[in-house]
Amino acid sequence: MKLKLLFFASLRERFGFSYKEITLAKDVKSPEEFLQLMSLGAGEDWIKLLEDKNLYKVAINQNLASWRAVINDGDELAIFPPITGG
Amino acid sequence: MAIIIQEDRFSISKICAELSDKDNVGAIVSFSGHVREFSKDKQLKYLEIEHYPGMTEKALEDIEKKAMKNWDVADIRIVHRVGRLLPKDLIVGVIVSSMHRSNAFKACEFVIDFLKTDAPFWKKEISEDSENWVDERQEDIIKKTNWN
Repeated sequence: MKLKLLFFASLRERFGFSYKEITLAKDVKSPEEFLQLMSLGAGEDWIKLLEDKNLYKVAINQNLASWRAVINDGDELAIFPPITGG
Repeated sequence: MAIIIQEDRFSISKICAELSDKDNVGAIVSFSGHVREFSKDKQLKYLEIEHYPGMTEKALEDIEKKAMKNWDVADIRIVHRVGRLLPKDLIVGVIVSSMHRSNAFKACEFVIDFLKTDAPFWKKEISEDSENWVDERQEDIIKKTNWN
């Protein structure tokens, strides 16, 4: 399963990238499952993001979604802090 | 309807003049948001605004469409700057034209209230000795909820 992952603002700085195409070792059904999978072997930052996930927003294919929404192969998944424009 | 996201400065009065030139426009209401010089007693050097290209335009289009559906207005323009902004700079402009003032006032307030919580922009404040991402304001969430 492949995902296009985007981070913005403080998360972009913490992870050191804003866009990455990721090939997952196994399929996941939701952004929450994606974080659980990444936190198993991809380092402290992922464990912390999983713990603090309710402080952040998620968008699937550029639409705001919940952590338990359905994601599919090839989807664009964006994770970011609350919006502060205007 | 139009949405513009740009690094360059812009003029609200120019957009008002454009909208007032259309037929049967009796009212134009504009909101302009500016960069404050101080944040939590710290003097701001500059602000960095980041956005999510693609999703931002989609979210703003959606907000504009909802406002056009809810109120009888002639046109809505949204302009939002990104990149480095200095104290006092204009950040965002929402300009609404209509036949009568009441619809324009309401639509303008609706657009800025939803922009604040649904359009993916993020602000970072840079002062002489610190940098910090701006936190969301409870007041903004309440203002949006009040429209439901």
